[in-house]
Amino acid sequence: MQVQKTHKSINQTQLIIKVTTAWHFLLSISGIFLIAYIIFPHGLKNIPVWLSYISAILIGLLSIGSFYSAFKLIKLQRQGRTASLVVNYIGLVVTALLFFQNLGIFLGVDALAKTFGSSIGWLSGVLLGYLVYTIGDRYHYRIQIEEMFHKIGKYIALIFFAIFLIKSGLFPALIYLAKQMILPSNFVILFVVIVFGLAIWSMWREPTALYLNRTNAQTEALEGYLFLSPNLIGFLIFFAFPLVFSFFISLTDWDAFGNSNFIGLANYFELFKLNLKQLANSTQDFFQVMDGSIFSELLRFNMFGKSYVLGAADARFWIALRNTLVFGIVTVPLSAIPALFLANILNSKIPGMKIFRAIYFLPSIAAVVGISLIWQWLYNATIGYINYFITVGLDFINSVFSTGYPQAQIRWLSESRTALLAIIIVSAWQTMGFNTVLFLAGLQNVPKELYEAATVDGAGRWAKFWKITLPLLAPTTFFVITTTTIQAFQVFEQVFIMTNPPGSPGTSTLTIVLYLYQNGFQRFQQGYAAAIAWVLFIVIFSVTLLQFRSQRKTGAYDV
Amino acid sequence: MSRKLFLGISLIVILAMVLSACAPKVVETATPVETAAPVEAAEPTAAPVAEEITLRWRTRPDNQAEIDVYSAVSADLDAAMEGVTLVYEPGGSETSSYQDVLKTEIGAGTAPDVFWIPGTDVADFATRGLILDMKSMADATEGFSAGDFYPGPMYHLTYNPETSMTGEALWGLPRDVSTFALYLNLDLIAEAGADDPRELVKEGKWTWEAFLDVAKKVQALGSDVYGYGANAWWGPYGVWINSAGGNFYNADRTACGLDTPEAIAGLTFERQLYVEDKVAVPYGEDSEPPFMAGKVAMFQNGRWATPGVRANANFNWDVVELPTGASGQGNWLFWGAYVVNANTEHSEEAWKLVQMLTTAETQGKIAALGANIPSRMSQEAFDAFLTFTPPANNQAFLNGIADANKPTAEGPLWAGSWPNYDSIMGPMVSKVLNGELTIEDYQKTICVEANKAFEH
Repeated sequence: MQVQKTHKSINQTQLIIKVTTAWHFLLSISGIFLIAYIIFPHGLKNIPVWLSYISAILIGLLSIGSFYSAFKLIKLQRQGRTASLVVNYIGLVVTALLFFQNLGIFLGVDALAKTFGSSIGWLSGVLLGYLVYTIGDRYHYRIQIEEMFHKIGKYIALIFFAIFLIKSGLFPALIYLAKQMILPSNFVILFVVIVFGLAIWSMWREPTALYLNRTNAQTEALEGYLFLSPNLIGFLIFFAFPLVFSFFISLTDWDAFGNSNFIGLANYFELFKLNLKQLANSTQDFFQVMDGSIFSELLRFNMFGKSYVLGAADARFWIALRNTLVFGIVTVPLSAIPALFLANILNSKIPGMKIFRAIYFLPSIAAVVGISLIWQWLYNATIGYINYFITVGLDFINSVFSTGYPQAQIRWLSESRTALLAIIIVSAWQTMGFNTVLFLAGLQNVPKELYEAATVDGAGRWAKFWKITLPLLAPTTFFVITTTTIQAFQVFEQVFIMTNPPGSPGTSTLTIVLYLYQNGFQRFQQGYAAAIAWVLFIVIFSVTLLQFRSQRKTGAYDV
Repeated sequence: MSRKLFLGISLIVILAMVLSACAPKVVETATPVETAAPVEAAEPTAAPVAEEITLRWRTRPDNQAEIDVYSAVSADLDAAMEGVTLVYEPGGSETSSYQDVLKTEIGAGTAPDVFWIPGTDVADFATRGLILDMKSMADATEGFSAGDFYPGPMYHLTYNPETSMTGEALWGLPRDVSTFALYLNLDLIAEAGADDPRELVKEGKWTWEAFLDVAKKVQALGSDVYGYGANAWWGPYGVWINSAGGNFYNADRTACGLDTPEAIAGLTFERQLYVEDKVAVPYGEDSEPPFMAGKVAMFQNGRWATPGVRANANFNWDVVELPTGASGQGNWLFWGAYVVNANTEHSEEAWKLVQMLTTAETQGKIAALGANIPSRMSQEAFDAFLTFTPPANNQAFLNGIADANKPTAEGPLWAGSWPNYDSIMGPMVSKVLNGELTIEDYQKTICVEANKAFEH
């Protein structure tokens, strides 16, 4: 009887494998037809060209994988099972996403935000129900009353929750969903989703796995990748793909509206097109030595008694790069060093210190736009509070010491000499709180015994800080400096909001990300903007790499 | 709470969210928002019948009052357009500007059927095929005449880039126009003992010299008091250049005109205000806060600033037209236009909507808010505009765009890139007005650099 049952099971498994093999052949052939349909000029007219090519490549890869799977399954090799699972899993995810898209779920999320806003008040009823429920816990000694409160609490919560769902538009949504489901296209997609699901099941089931000689290592690997897949798919769609796509864009003159030509590295050549010429004297006109229709003056300098001028095809890019580097070089220490000292102060056990910690952290969580607007007012040269307090201070000094300091009218944001500094101060102030919290966490990991031992050895506060605190904080310091540097090189919001027009006065606050934005969104040069983004990426990557290497040498941060 | 109850509720929440997300996208209702109360969840609309068309339209409002008026206008037009449902969208978001959102949506293919763009953007949008040429539809429309609108904007809106001729296309119709005036702090001017600029206008003596005289007298009141203030963009400095007889471009707008003697004369005078005489709020500083604080006598701004001044000024104020230079006021005629998305599926209905949005009646409703001047040269619309007081001297704005004062229409660059041109011109002018670049060096380099924005 047992042998008969086993034999039946084997036959069943063989049949399942044969059906799955046929499915994979069908899938491969369908893939080829689909590719032809996508690439054919009159096929999918509504999707952009780049998307049709990417779709074709993806479907091509899946078709090849499907064919490989079918081929291996015929030979009853376990690689066939693995390939089948991968192909069907990807197919399931893609068709499920397509199904949701067709149902309007993704667009519906927008609507959700609005309907939730108007109905969220009803959720307070759920809280009320919960409170009633918890009151019951007070009556442990009278089980009937306890159960009564629990029951009432549950019903209150459920009733209010039902009202909340109805107010959120649940019924119209269900009706809409039902209507959408009836559409033949959605029905077909749902059918394909189910077929992919069945194909996965057919290969995942234990009898099939055993029949195809699966190993434990294979199972573990598949399970591992399965758990990893949500993150991996998200990474591929939202990070890896845009990254590769942006590089592709940087090789085109795309204007974001479908007008695009492949121009190779022309955008990069334009960015890095420089010209160095010797001048007859240091005041000679730039246009006498260089073609002004191509180059703009970037820099004049003297070397070995001779004057030179450096011209750039895109001088603003170099100016932006210089401003960004200056910003980074000054902002990082300004937001890290005070944070370190603040953290030391806040690490003490004085009453109310937690409030101060929260206060210092506030700028980090406040909206950059709001902060920038407030600082813009503070910086106002004519009616700003900063100049006002400086003036009050100077008046006081003048009256006490009979000096004659003039009124402070520092043009923080409207003068080239001070504008970048003003932005740096705001950024450093804003980042400092977060860095303080990081240092604080690091400080609390420093063993107290070391300080006690140092005290016994007669070390003073400064010596303790210098010899114990700082070395043991090296990992935190490294993290703070690296993240602050990356953040600093991407500065945008503060400049965009505080300077008017953004990047002014002159080009003194023009930063790389701002320049990127201007090219992409204001000048319709998405290709050029993408090239700038890649240059910035390389700069940030190089600086971070240097930081990692120098840190490795010290051995303070084990990476 | 028991584990089961918690799990149950969690599951229901997730399920409800997924189901709710399936609901059709909620659109802004066209009815005006009358209270700050949260808007009730819009009932998902039933599937439209075959004949019913939904048209989305968008324009950039400056404040909630304008959103309310545009919503009301949309509701009225919706009732008047048979078979068409209108959906008004204010555009922009908390984190992105109107233009950024619009361009992104055009790129994604989700932009509205009809939308507003600034005059300077028309060329970029038209040459890239993003907006519809409505010339053939306009020609077939009985009673439509492009001549009903100000000729300046219509020059650009009917320009055909392929033939380089005006009158051979129709990219849109102007929503409204605006112009500069000087917002006056009458208390400060009286305190300084200076002449009232409004009286000087009546006497025909409101010249650059008279303006400088008033500014100097006010500035003498204290080091934190200024005679003049303007914000740092192309509009204010363009006025002085225009007024001196200069222009940003050459005659056919195919090359830079910023180095002509006239343009240089205008900039030289403006530099005098900032650098030599120091009667102006330092260039690059926002002049509006000190004006509102009563520290600036003459604040140059457009009509769009009127609601703000009405709300915040705690002194006697009015407006006066700009002083005249060698070539008159040199004022700008600012404008933006309603255009039709090139990808709309309902071009005829969109064209009809554009016309209805620019009727004298519609413009009158919007002009009554006080922030815009009607783009249609209609007495009905002007009357609505003049009723909005203060300022008492609303006529100053209308005088600014009167033909007699030869205003220069803000315009796109058909032969080049306006954003590129602006990004070269702006920083160099700011260096001049900050005293970081001499006029001579500026004159030597400005057009060599600015001509890079033209397609040669």
